[in-house]
Amino acid sequence: MTCEEFAAVGLDLDPSGADEALQQAARDHLRECPQCAALQANWLALRVDLRALGTETAEANAPARVEMRLRQEFRTIHKTVKRQRMAFVAGWSLAAAAVLLCAFAWINWRHQRGPVVAHKQSTAVQSAASQRNFGPTVPITTPAGAELGDVLVASSSSGDFTLLPGSLPPAPEDATVVRVQMQRAALGALGLTVNEEHAGDWIQVDLLIGDDGLPQAVRLPPASTQTSN
Amino acid sequence: MPIESQQRDDALLRRSAKGDESAFAEIYHRHQATVYRFALRMTGNSWAAEEIVQDVFITLVREPKKYDVNRGTLGAFLYGVARNRIMKHLERAPRHLSLDEKGDAAQDNYPQLHEQMTPARWTELRERREQVRAAVLELPTEFRETVVLCELDEMSYEEAARTLECPVGTIRSRLHRGRALLLAKLEMLRDVPKRANAGR
Repeated sequence: MTCEEFAAVGLDLDPSGADEALQQAARDHLRECPQCAALQANWLALRVDLRALGTETAEANAPARVEMRLRQEFRTIHKTVKRQRMAFVAGWSLAAAAVLLCAFAWINWRHQRGPVVAHKQSTAVQSAASQRNFGPTVPITTPAGAELGDVLVASSSSGDFTLLPGSLPPAPEDATVVRVQMQRAALGALGLTVNEEHAGDWIQVDLLIGDDGLPQAVRLPPASTQTSN
Repeated sequence: MPIESQQRDDALLRRSAKGDESAFAEIYHRHQATVYRFALRMTGNSWAAEEIVQDVFITLVREPKKYDVNRGTLGAFLYGVARNRIMKHLERAPRHLSLDEKGDAAQDNYPQLHEQMTPARWTELRERREQVRAAVLELPTEFRETVVLCELDEMSYEEAARTLECPVGTIRSRLHRGRALLLAKLEMLRDVPKRANAGR
């Protein structure tokens, strides 16, 4: 073994650190080389000093104030995190509740509005008709979907008045019923759809005239059914 | 570190991350001493060591997810964080310590005066201890940490390699260089005879 090889592996001569043959070679080299032997002796002396230095601080612990500060920091951080989480959950819960409330309110409003409008309209026209003795009743129906812009069809299957597009139910005291004879095609001018095959037929029509003199609703009396359709 | 101990650390860390203060305190008690000693031996300054311990554990409180169970033990992770903090401290710290700072780490650890020990011997021991301490603190950082771990902490090469995340061969060579530097600083090479046969 050379001095360099010895320096690389043999200074601490730790049996657990290298194989036995190498350790034996290092020990043999020590016996032969006074320079390496002196180096080894110095190293062992220094090692004793180092171990003593290690022992001096072996029982050293961080002062209690460090733990106190850390615990304080731990509490602060976790309290803040907890608060942030609670605020986050509360915020989202409130937002969800508000959205649900709005949705329920809107659905309710939608449900209530349709029947109420239809009811009001039919009640108003009925009362007008009964006051002026235009017959037993002058019911007006708003066809389903009329508000949504659907096409109105001149139908003679029902005996009720059908509101013309864009007209409001007339006030009962101002409404007048006028029976006229016209060609079915003329109903197109009132905004109703007319079957082209029967467009030239003459029919009798009841018009509900408002106080402005314009027709507000139309009714095809059952008697005209045969001639109109 | 035994597997049970590591599992215990992992369980404690999970509880601590959920806000369990007692779990955090237990983690602190299990690891503070090793981190503090390492910092103290590397910096030679108890105030700096205290600050480093605080920084290390605050990192654990604030960012527990930084510790990856699959990458190693909690102890090794804390050593790693402590190393980074120590490096930063050493970069910031002045190259030469003031007399007050030099005395700070050592004053509680002077050898005790025994009945069998003469005052002269005690003074000699104390001076020698101071020389060794100063020589260790003057070593370049990479050699110093190897010497601290293997000689002062008495870790095996394998443990030191795991802690410093480098091969065992690197530890061996750093230790060899560190020892040579220490011997040179302490003038222990002076009485070594000149090599008679360089080829031997």
